[in-house]
Amino acid sequence: MGILVWGNVVTVFAWFIAVYMVIVISFYSVIMVISFFQLRKGYQLDRVQAFEDYADEFYTKPVSIIVPAYNEEAGIIQSVRSLLSVNYPTFEVIVVNDGSTDQTLAKVIEHYDMKEIKKVIRKQVDTKPIGRIYQSDILSNLFLIDKENGGKADALNVGLNFSHYPYFCSLDGDSVLEQDAFLKVMKPIIDSNEEVIASGGSVRIANGCQIKNGHIQKIGLSNKPLVVMQIIEYLRAFLMGRIGLSRHNLLLIISGAFGVFSKHWVITAGGYKTDTVGEDMELVVRIHRLLKEKKIKKKIVYVPDPVCWTEVPEDMTFLRRQRRRWHRGLLESLWTHRKITFNPKYGSIGLVSFPYFWIVEFFGPVIEFLGYLFMILCLFLGGSYIEFAILLFLLSCLYGSVFSMTSVLLEEWSLTKYPKVSDIMKLFLYSLTETIWYRPLTVYWRCEGIWQMIIGDRSWGEMKRKGVSE
Amino acid sequence: MLNNELYFLTILTITILGLLVVLLIYLMVRKAIDIKNRKAIEHFIENYQSILFTMLMEGGYSRGLSPKSVLEQKAIEELLSRFSKILEGEDEKKRLSELASMYLAEYYQKQLKSKKWSQRMNTLYHIEDFKLNLLIDDIYLLTTKKKLSHEELIHSLRILALFQYKYFFEMITTHYQSFSEFEYRTILVQLEQQQFEQFILHFHKSSAPLQKAILDVISIKKETNYLPFLENIFSTYKGEIRLRALKALSEIGYVKNTEPYLELLYSTIWEERMVAAKLIGALKEVKGISRLIDLLHDQTWWVRSQAGQAICQFPNGHQILQEVYEKSKDAFAKDMAWEWLHKGV
Repeated sequence: MGILVWGNVVTVFAWFIAVYMVIVISFYSVIMVISFFQLRKGYQLDRVQAFEDYADEFYTKPVSIIVPAYNEEAGIIQSVRSLLSVNYPTFEVIVVNDGSTDQTLAKVIEHYDMKEIKKVIRKQVDTKPIGRIYQSDILSNLFLIDKENGGKADALNVGLNFSHYPYFCSLDGDSVLEQDAFLKVMKPIIDSNEEVIASGGSVRIANGCQIKNGHIQKIGLSNKPLVVMQIIEYLRAFLMGRIGLSRHNLLLIISGAFGVFSKHWVITAGGYKTDTVGEDMELVVRIHRLLKEKKIKKKIVYVPDPVCWTEVPEDMTFLRRQRRRWHRGLLESLWTHRKITFNPKYGSIGLVSFPYFWIVEFFGPVIEFLGYLFMILCLFLGGSYIEFAILLFLLSCLYGSVFSMTSVLLEEWSLTKYPKVSDIMKLFLYSLTETIWYRPLTVYWRCEGIWQMIIGDRSWGEMKRKGVSE
Repeated sequence: MLNNELYFLTILTITILGLLVVLLIYLMVRKAIDIKNRKAIEHFIENYQSILFTMLMEGGYSRGLSPKSVLEQKAIEELLSRFSKILEGEDEKKRLSELASMYLAEYYQKQLKSKKWSQRMNTLYHIEDFKLNLLIDDIYLLTTKKKLSHEELIHSLRILALFQYKYFFEMITTHYQSFSEFEYRTILVQLEQQQFEQFILHFHKSSAPLQKAILDVISIKKETNYLPFLENIFSTYKGEIRLRALKALSEIGYVKNTEPYLELLYSTIWEERMVAAKLIGALKEVKGISRLIDLLHDQTWWVRSQAGQAICQFPNGHQILQEVYEKSKDAFAKDMAWEWLHKGV
């Protein structure tokens, strides 16, 4: 009798996991099909030509670029240099030194001949007190603000208060922008006559590329398996996920690494939230919420073109910390705005996006983790349980590897950014192995993130950067 | 007990894997071919560069250049495209068009009928860059196609405008009345005076986006012969249209009588105060200075900033700002004065 009940529990559990995976697979498939058609259209389009018109000063809106910097002495000059050479008619660069303990401030002051200026800052969003403000003597559109340490979100809010222009962009200290990045992300805003109020671009991985003076010289593929897997992961997330979601205004993430926002709406929404680790997602959710509550028809979109290259962790320790942090950020955003979930008042955001992020993005790792444990268990139990194990394994292959492989091919089919034939081969073969090692690892780390939340561990885990530039 | 499911899943996984591998092989072959073609094109470019350049600068034709393959045509296209961005002289530009019509027109005719959207778009970009007047009828035909994407339509109309197509005005006013302001503007800005004037005459009957676009085009072109028209619009219209007219006036920087605009500096609508400040600055109207100084204290940042810029434009502007900076008690006014004193030196 006892054995029978135990058997039932196992069966029910196995079916639960299997059904869950089938649902997620179907959901991914739908998104993929949407992305597929979107991408297909642009194959071989001459992008330089397509954006040329927008470089004309008359049409474009000025943008403030905010660079929060905390102990970034290694890369800050390179980043600023790359920003200053960006192809856009009117912009200003605001470096916010978030109480760095290293030479970040001194380096910028010296390199760009910064002079202290007196300026009143309108406090539209509350922030930590700020110290001196500097303006470059050589370049009148470069500013530097020194402030007490208060975290990235707080630094962004300071930049927001100080900025002069109607649009702003936040940028991580160690990212490299493509020359036409702003033209690309501003295009939807201008085209839509400002119905689009935030626009993000796709972020790619800089490890392995040759970078000089803040410009990508040659796109390449890193030799480190962990980096290659992350490249595939980014491709998958950006190509499949976000294009599909953007089409229906379901987008909940504008990557912190690169996005342009309308300042007016961000300030109306209250600026960045300082007590979360996922301030970029939280802000987008809050804007969506504001729009739905006020019944305003505005949009947040995503541009598939790669516009920004960023450095990712190269070893396990830092990758693990990053994933734990991300997952916690996700939970914080979802939890803060849990009211939206399944709330018809919030339209597609409440009925599709939020459930998706809860079920697939947040609980996904937990269920997958249990699935992996279960697979191992089944192998020990033997008999008909072996079949369960195989079933789950096949499903997770579909779930993990197959979608990743498809994304790699989708990239090569439409955007063709990697120059060598062998690159594609390599990416493809690596993605084949995803189910066996990378996926379980990240799943485990994300579960750790949840666990940390539960036991109340609030440590951060900074990423160590070695600087991508030569 | 799971035999069926397992069987089905295995088959599915293997099929998908198989398909993906086939796709991979296809893409790899395609990539290899693309790389090879690219090399060939680079080779042609190297060979043709100097010949083509001589032809452009000195006129005449060379027998050494007779492209047969698509790759050769691509090479010529790329070369001409590079040249088109750097050439300044009218003669050279004309020669570039001629060369493009000679070597590429036929190829483009075919490309315009391509099934691929991106190919058609690229062709349109090139036709525009090279000013291939020859293809005007093909472009017109394209606009009449039923399954035409919006981007293609806008771009085709833009090219027709560039070529001063005879029936352009009728086309826009009868068929295309629901474009956005931005779209109308990119199209209309290509027109020469004669065609553009038809739109001016039609102004009162136009939709709001078209009206705004017309005013913006005048702003861009800064043509003084539209001044009476602009002043007329300014006095008869309200709201956004009136503002645009004002903006255009400030771009041109001349009006017959400054009185109504000086009054506008006291408008209750901040946008009007802002554009009026811009205009007074452009006119360098001394009577407006005292009010501009007041506007440095305005509650709206945009007005303050514009007032600062306007004051800057006066010959003694820096001196005025310096005074405000030293004497004013208002932090915002001080700030703005400082900012304009230190802007873009």
